[in-house]
Parts: sequence; C-alpha cells; structure tokens
Amino acid sequence: MIKFEGVVKTYPNGVQALKGVDLSIEQGEFVCIIGLSGAGKSTLLRSINQMHQITGGKLTVDDVDVSTLKGKELRRFRRNIGMVFQSFNLVKRTTVIKNVLAARVADMPLWKSLLGLYAKQDKIIALEALDQVGILEKAYSRADQLSGGQQQRVALARTVAQQPKIILADEPVASLDPVTSQQVMSDFVKINKALNITVIANMHHVDIALKYANRIIGVKEGKIVFDGPSLKVTNDILKEIYGRELSDDDLMGA
Amino acid sequence: MSTKITVIEQLKNEPKNLGLKALLILGLIGVGILGVVYIDYNGFTEFGLTVMWNISKSIFTPNTALLFGEGKNGVLFLITETAAIAFLGTIIGTIVSIPIAFLSSRNIVPGWMANIGVAFITVVRTFPAVVYGLMFIRVTGPGAFTGVLTLAVASVGMISKLFIEVIEDLDPGIIEALDAAGCNGIQKVQYGIVPQLMGNFASTAIYRFEINVKYATILGMVGAGGIGAPLIFAITAYRWADTGALLIGLIIFVLIVEYGSAKIRKKLATGE
Amino acid sequence: MDKIKKFFLPKPIVLTNGKVVQPAMSPMVYVIPILLVMFFYSTSLTGFALGTLINRGSRFFDILVKMFPPNFGYFTKVWTPMVVTLVMSIVGTLAGAAFSIPAAYLSSENMVKSPLIKFIVRSIMSVLRTIPLLVLVILFLNMFGAGAFTGMISLGVFTFTIMTKMFYELIDTCDMGPFEAIESSGASRVKAFWTGIMPQLWGQYISILLYNFEMNIRNAAILGYVGAGGIGILLNDRLGWRAYPEVAMILLVLMVSVYLIESLSRYIRKRLL
Repeated sequence: MIKFEGVVKTYPNGVQALKGVDLSIEQGEFVCIIGLSGAGKSTLLRSINQMHQITGGKLTVDDVDVSTLKGKELRRFRRNIGMVFQSFNLVKRTTVIKNVLAARVADMPLWKSLLGLYAKQDKIIALEALDQVGILEKAYSRADQLSGGQQQRVALARTVAQQPKIILADEPVASLDPVTSQQVMSDFVKINKALNITVIANMHHVDIALKYANRIIGVKEGKIVFDGPSLKVTNDILKEIYGRELSDDDLMGA
Repeated sequence: MSTKITVIEQLKNEPKNLGLKALLILGLIGVGILGVVYIDYNGFTEFGLTVMWNISKSIFTPNTALLFGEGKNGVLFLITETAAIAFLGTIIGTIVSIPIAFLSSRNIVPGWMANIGVAFITVVRTFPAVVYGLMFIRVTGPGAFTGVLTLAVASVGMISKLFIEVIEDLDPGIIEALDAAGCNGIQKVQYGIVPQLMGNFASTAIYRFEINVKYATILGMVGAGGIGAPLIFAITAYRWADTGALLIGLIIFVLIVEYGSAKIRKKLATGE
Repeated sequence: MDKIKKFFLPKPIVLTNGKVVQPAMSPMVYVIPILLVMFFYSTSLTGFALGTLINRGSRFFDILVKMFPPNFGYFTKVWTPMVVTLVMSIVGTLAGAAFSIPAAYLSSENMVKSPLIKFIVRSIMSVLRTIPLLVLVILFLNMFGAGAFTGMISLGVFTFTIMTKMFYELIDTCDMGPFEAIESSGASRVKAFWTGIMPQLWGQYISILLYNFEMNIRNAAILGYVGAGGIGILLNDRLGWRAYPEVAMILLVLMVSVYLIESLSRYIRKRLL
C-alpha cells in the first residue's frame, strides 16, 4: 500500500510542485493521474520511488517511510518499483533482450554486470516478460528497428522483468498513435490483472485514462482535486480539474 | 497462432557471436604474447619516483626569474616563439592545402586526378612530423624557421584531407540556384562556395593550430625552436626550478589555446 | 569611431518597397587585419626567410633524391623494430583506453553529482593533458630505463589523458533516458552507466580508440628519438649517419604499416557507426 500524508515537494528554484497531498493506493489497483501539464503529476509519480525527493510530509510504501531511505536501502526499495517513460528510455543501439535484461543488473554482483554475464534464469525471466507483452519473436532485434508501440512494450517488458509490486508509468502513450496506444494500455491492464501489480500512470489523454483505469486522480496546482472511480468522472469534474472545457488536445479520439 | 515461438525455443535461438568473441579473446592473447616477447621490462628504478616528485613539486616552486624574465631566455619569449611557430606553420599549411584539396576533390576534378591527389596526401600524412623536422634541419639549420616548415608540411596532410571532405560535401543546389539567378563564375564562388566553406575551413585550421602547438613543444627536441628544448634540457639536467617555470608557462599556454580553440570552433559550428 | 564603423559596414541594400536593409558587419573586417599582424610578427620572430627556403630548399629534395633507390635488403633489420613499435602502441593504447573509462565517468557532468569531484578530476586531467609526450617519456625513462616498456607506458598515459576528455564529452551528450530507467529499477549509478550508457557509446569509443592508435603509431617514431624503443631509434640512427637509402626503407615500412592500419580502422569504423 502506498500512502501519502501531507506530502510537499518544493524544488530548489522555489517552485512548489506538491502542496500537501493525501492519498492511499492499495496493492493491485490501476490508477490514472490526470491534470494539466505542470500540475504536479510527474512529481507525484516520481516521489513514490524517490527519483524526486519529497521535502515535507510523509510517504510510505508498505509501511516503509521512503524519504528516510538512502544508498543501498533506497536501491533495494526501488527494485520493487518499475518505471515506464514517455520516451521509452531504451538503449536503441542494442538488442531488445539486452534492454530487458538491464532490469536484472540491480540484483547482480557488479563484476557479472560489467562482463554482461546474465544467468540463464535471468534470460528466461526476460524472455517471459517479452512473451507477456507479445513481442517474444523480436527478442534479438535491435531496439531501434522496432516501431514506437513495440519499443514501449519492450520498456514495459523491462519493467515486468524487474518483478516489481508497483509500476509507475509517466505518460506511457503520449508519443504513440491512438491505435498503438490502445494496444499498449491493454498490455498494462493485462499485467495489472495477471500479476496483481499496482499500476499508476500519468495520462495526458483523458479518454484513454477513463477507459482503462479503475480509479482516477485529478491533480491541479499541486493538490488533489478529485479521487474516485473512473465511472464517476463527469464533465463537471473534468472542468474543475482542467479549469476549462476539454479541448481536442486532451483527447486521443479513441 | 501456430507459429508462435516459446520462451525455451527463443532461449536457444540466442545469437552466440562465438566467432567474434573468439577473435577478441585470441587477439588479446596474441597481443599479450607479443608484448611479453618484444617488450622487455628492465626493472623499476626508484630514482624515477624522485624525478616525478621533483617535477610535480617544481610547478609550485618555479624559478620566478625565468618565469617572468624578459629577453630570449624568458618563459614569455619562449611561449611567444612557440605560438609563432605553430601559427605560421598552420597558416602556411592551410594556404598550401587549399589548392591541393580542390585539385583532389571528386566534385571539382575528374576521378583520376582526385585519386592522384589523395594518394599524394596519404603519403605526406604517413610520415611523422619528427621525420620532416630532421630533414628540414639539414636545409635551414636548427631554429624556429625549421619548426615552421616542419609544421607546415606536417599540417598539409591532415588539413587537406579534412578540406576534401568539406568540399565533397558542398551543396550543389546552391550553385544551381545562383546559376539560375544569372550569376557569373566569380559571383558563384563568392556567394555559393565561399560561405559554405569558410566556417569549416576556419574550424579545421584552428583545430590543427591546437595540434601544432603541442607538436611545437615536441619539435624543440630536434632543434626546431620553441619551448620544448629548454624544457627537456631543464628536466634532464635536473634543474627543477627552471623546469617548474617552463612547465607553468606551457600548461597555462596550452590550456588557453584549448579553451579558445573550443570556443571559436563552437561559435563557427553553431553560428554565434 | 562611428565614422570608422560606417566605413567598414557593407553597403545598405534598398529594397523595391523603399525600405533600407543594413547587412551586418562581416567578421572578416577585423579577423583579416589581426591575422596579418600576427603573420608578420611571427615571420620576424621565427626568422622566416623565403630567400633561404628558395636558395636551400632544393636540399630537402636532395635528401629525397638520395633516398632512391631504397635499400630493400635492409628490411630484415627494420621489421623487428616495427613490430616492437606496433606492439607497444597497441598495448599502450589499450591500457590508456581502459583507464579512460572510469576517469571519463568521474569527469562527466551527467554521471557525477558532486561538482567538487568533477572539478578536481577535470582539473587534474586538463593539466596532465598539457604535458607533452616527450616530457612523459623522459619521466618514465628515469623509472624504467631505455626500451620499449618506457615507450608503452608513455603512450598509455598520453592516450589516457586524451581519451578521457574525448570520452567524457561523449558521455555528456548521450541519451540519459536508459540510465534513468535502470537507476529507477534500483541499480547503482555505476551499473546504470555500464548497462544504460556504455552500449550507446561503444561504437564511438572504439572509433576514438582507433584514432588514438593511429596517432600513437606516428608518435612512436618520436619516442625512439629519446631511446624509448621501436623504429624511432633506428630512424634517428640512420638519419644521423645520413644513410638515406636505409632511411627510405624505414619510411617505406612505416608508411605501409600506417596505411594498412588506417585502412583497417576505417573499415572497422564503417562497420561500427
């Protein structure tokens, strides 16, 4: 369970990205965070695995106070949390399987990771992850030869190969076309259901978020202004989150 | 899908790259054996550490009279002389390289002519600068003049090779456009070719200047002027205070050249 | 002052609609005079004399003429030192290249969070880089005596200083995405660097390694001059004795070696990039 209690994040330049966030997310939920860009969605997401350090309040994951973690403890903690990015963040010049295996280096002795000696077990985990997102046959292709949707699936497989309890997705489909976006989102749902992994995704496109998430969190100016099941999201609520009528830009047209 | 591959099958499909790995390992072993056979280790002399310590210390305890001294033995003069050698060598090398490069570019002259030019450049390039130095010293005697000639010739190889690359990358569209606008030959060169080439040529020349500054210190060894010879004499005679003064001068000078060269080249590449 | 400025400004262009456009002052206006002043100052300082060159320049070609025909029989004496030169260049380059990876990591803007560490490592590397190869050779001659071992160590240290800079510049401009992703999975920064950054850069790394190797083969000729092994000793000795046909043979062997190595490295680079 992830629990925010009055979490505050102020950047060194004085910008206050989170202004006292209270929130709790149970294991196995599928949550989408929506809001204008700059509302604090990304900060909220990245504070969970401490890629951004919070500056106030308390944030616990399975009763561990994450802001107190440092060095080795922080790294061990992060192994349970996978992350997917808008720009996939793959090494494009290398093969798909090597990208997925990168998720295993955290658990390997340093010398083995330097020599790239992956155990057979790790390779099987990586291939199974690729199978789960349906691109097993691409395992030995170079990542840059794949389409955008396939690359995002590789990134998802990398996260799955990490065998996490939580997956954080920062705008996972924002650089994909509508059809591919739907496929990638279905993969997220599949993994959420099959492995009982909590998925928390920032979404730019409201319609996609509503279609796939069980729960929607609306963020506005560093505060949570809506938190509830996606079925209960009305036009009025969206108007409040966005402070204006939705434009075509906020929808993928799916 | 009946053709769907399983995880275990795919695991077996892993490309092993055995050939490449074997080549790499054999190569390393081969180099190791050759190293053991051909490179003799003559033992370690602790006196070397003393020398290293003294050189490092000398930078903080320089001979200030030499460092700030005027006249032909002062560090300032030696640095200026080194800079002058490198500068002249670069300028002459660049001027000589321009016609050579044009006469060796495939989009300017016929293929056979370009081949001759490129072959000539390759030959010029293969000789180490010191070889030219040792030859020129028999022409002009020891001194800065020899250094200039050496660096000029040594620069021609690299500069003209890089110039050719720039010329062969010329955008012919611009010339065509000027043709269409009714420009004459000189105007075509002035408005179509020069603007495309100037920046790259200048950048190459500055880069070579940076290299020549470093070579100029080496050429001192063969008697071609500059700060190299006094520095090496000071070290071999264990005159540490002098070594320190010369090293400080050299380090600051090279750092300034590196910094300036990077700045100007960046400006040329990004257009301010 | 304004008048002077106006004098150098290009002619204003009058457009058909009557507007006047003033083109910017070309930098040539001050670059050319500066270059000219530097040129004349340098010629007087270095004792540059076109007359001497014209009068005695033929001597350069005299030497070239005396080189023909090369003493091909001398090859039996040339090839061993050439192999020594090659081996010490290869080992030196490889060793320097290997050490340059951790040094580049520590100098990189992207990898090292502490500005202090980065500043210290970069400063040390900058100063080391300014030290001429010959000074390094003399230093190591004092430690290891005359011979190829000294040459190898000198080339290694020299390559290390140059490659560190070339490589940290590459690290600073590479895609940090994979690094972020792998670090977020709980890997240490070193592991994330090795699995997320290095695979992007291997091609370019090998490319700068080969560039340094080519340079080192040429440099190896200098090393011999001060007694650090290889073909340079022979070259210096034969030049001293004015045994030009033998010099020609040495140069020929050097030329062929450099040509082969350049061709090979061009081929490898093409395959890599």
